[in-house]
Amino acid sequence: MTHFDRRQILQFGAAAAGALALPAHLRAQGTPLKIGLITPLSGPQEFIGAYVKHGAEIAVDQINKAGGILGRPVALEIRDDKANPAAALAAARELLGMGINLHLGGISSAVVLALAPVMQQEKGVFLTCGAGTEKMNHEAYSPNLFRPGDSPDARGRAQARLMAQKYPDVTRWTGLIPDHEYGRTMWSIFVDGLLEFYPAIAKKKPEILDPIMMPYGVSDYRNGITAALRQQVDGCFNATYGGDAITMFQQARGFGLMNRYKVVCDAANEFLVARGLKQQLPPHWTGMHYYAAANKGNAMSDRFVADYLAKTKDPEPLGWAAEAHAALYALAKAAEKGKSTETASVIANLKGLTWDTVTGPRTMRAEDNQAVKDVELVFIDPANTDKGYAVSQYVKVAGKDVILPPAPGQKLKLRTA
Amino acid sequence: MLLADIATLLVNSLTWAMATFLVAAGLTLVFGTLHILNFSHGGFFMIGAYAAYSLGNWLTPLLGGPPSVVLYLFGSLVAGVVVALLGLLVDRLVLRRLSGVEDAYVLIATYALLLVCEGATKLVWGLKYQSVMPPPALDGALLLGDAVLPRLSLFIIAAGVLCFVGLEVFLNRTRPGRLVKAIAADPWMARLMGVNVRRVYTATVAIGFALAGLAGGLLLANQTLSPSLASAFVIQAFGVIIVGGMGSISGAFFGAILLGLIDAVGQWLLPGLPGLPFFLAMTAILLLRPEGLMGRRT
Repeated sequence: MTHFDRRQILQFGAAAAGALALPAHLRAQGTPLKIGLITPLSGPQEFIGAYVKHGAEIAVDQINKAGGILGRPVALEIRDDKANPAAALAAARELLGMGINLHLGGISSAVVLALAPVMQQEKGVFLTCGAGTEKMNHEAYSPNLFRPGDSPDARGRAQARLMAQKYPDVTRWTGLIPDHEYGRTMWSIFVDGLLEFYPAIAKKKPEILDPIMMPYGVSDYRNGITAALRQQVDGCFNATYGGDAITMFQQARGFGLMNRYKVVCDAANEFLVARGLKQQLPPHWTGMHYYAAANKGNAMSDRFVADYLAKTKDPEPLGWAAEAHAALYALAKAAEKGKSTETASVIANLKGLTWDTVTGPRTMRAEDNQAVKDVELVFIDPANTDKGYAVSQYVKVAGKDVILPPAPGQKLKLRTA
Repeated sequence: MLLADIATLLVNSLTWAMATFLVAAGLTLVFGTLHILNFSHGGFFMIGAYAAYSLGNWLTPLLGGPPSVVLYLFGSLVAGVVVALLGLLVDRLVLRRLSGVEDAYVLIATYALLLVCEGATKLVWGLKYQSVMPPPALDGALLLGDAVLPRLSLFIIAAGVLCFVGLEVFLNRTRPGRLVKAIAADPWMARLMGVNVRRVYTATVAIGFALAGLAGGLLLANQTLSPSLASAFVIQAFGVIIVGGMGSISGAFFGAILLGLIDAVGQWLLPGLPGLPFFLAMTAILLLRPEGLMGRRT
């Protein structure tokens, strides 16, 4: 057994007291800064969660090559939220319990809304990488929750404005809307935009028919498709998503439903539907978090695409990867700006932060923690190529022109038909 | 216009019903004979769909031109054979060990098998969504007055009805089929009569899994192909076999038709509440007939 004499005990004590007296960031110098990534890695949204994971990992590699955050290397602690609020809460509590205060991920609205109270209570920060709920900036606003990407109101209203500009004669509209919170919200925002922009731009009053409510996560959409066939409309807004959207479009093809519309505007599928359907694809507009080809020349985007290709063999990263990348860079810049990774400092410095991303600079609104970001919209056609589709039009809408004013703590106010 | 609506609604409901029956048929056959509720059935249906997809991708360029109905059917049959072989493996490694154990262990074991199916699918085919165009002969629609009847829907209905008739003939009019029914009713007595019950069980598993694979191939152009396909179908398949009566082929067939009709009419009358009439009807049927429409009261 080792015995310590009085002198050694005093030496240890002095060393320990000295170490504790150092500022936290100096004490931690060199030890990895752990950041929590909570995203679906199994279940129906795993496919999108994989984009988030790749985007975050690429950002971490790039940040570490540039010297890390405040001189510390960054390491991700990755947890699977299964797109399920209960699983996400368990993961968040575990990570917070490990002392990790900075987090990102969460592409499901339900997950993000469930995480808000625990982040606030346990003094964590969470940046979503694609959740579409408007509530996080409105009635469920939390100072600990940030969205560095598109707000649903900016996206939906930009789409409505584009429709009024490009299709002034298409004034009868309906929607194919999944029967859940996100679907209903996106439809309400799009309708708000139609009611504002058609009279202002096309000098016509739009006629909005009741949307067709589609069940969620089922294998058959024919009853909804048949109901849509009964409507006499020219324009259709689709908010069905991912695999559901592909199945719906696939079954609608047999009825010739999409051929009846003069224009189809899709809320947020990016290239998910195009990659799934290929030549079966009905031509349509869709919203993107990030369209790589249109951001060529932006050094950050070019490097991101190169790193993404090297990591995944996929030359065209979709928006969720870019959102995770942007979220990590926002955290890094906020920490550097405040010279601290403590929660209060990071929150204070995220508010009003302008930082570079693969889509160009973005600014985080201080009032409601929502980034003001340009909305990217593309028109996709089926094509006789290996990819099976091609982008024939690209439009970038300035985010500041379409985003609604901040209203944290209040319900989103929209026009109704 | 009303007649056209009724015709379309009828075809829609039958399409849903027959697609569900195609998936449920193997599930209820295995349950009726071995009394094993196979949670992994949806997983093998999914593997059948992916197998047919890969075969089609490989053969179509070799044969040239657009895929034909014959190729589509051939792909479905091959998928059935592939999944039947997997079924034999599963029988040897898993199902045999589950005879006589409590239901909870069976559920856990077959659920684990479902996870294995999903994991294997991700490893082999990846996470990306895929879809398959129907052969040109099954693309588009027939117009009956104002009614639009997609050819693929009619194909699925025909496939479901043929599958039902085939199974009914097999089980009721052939010696091996009658043997399966006899063993399902009383395996002990069958053993006393000198029947090799184990062999019949194995054959039943192979047929049940073959039906899952066949369904995967036949429904390939009906919906998205992704590793979550299993769960999309298996819940509704369980719904129809519970409503129809566990283990009854005709129960699954008529249960599927009934639920399909209720769902279609419900969505017509209550378009803002999709799915609600379906679950209400299921609840009501189970309250009134807990053993299912054609199940035996125990």
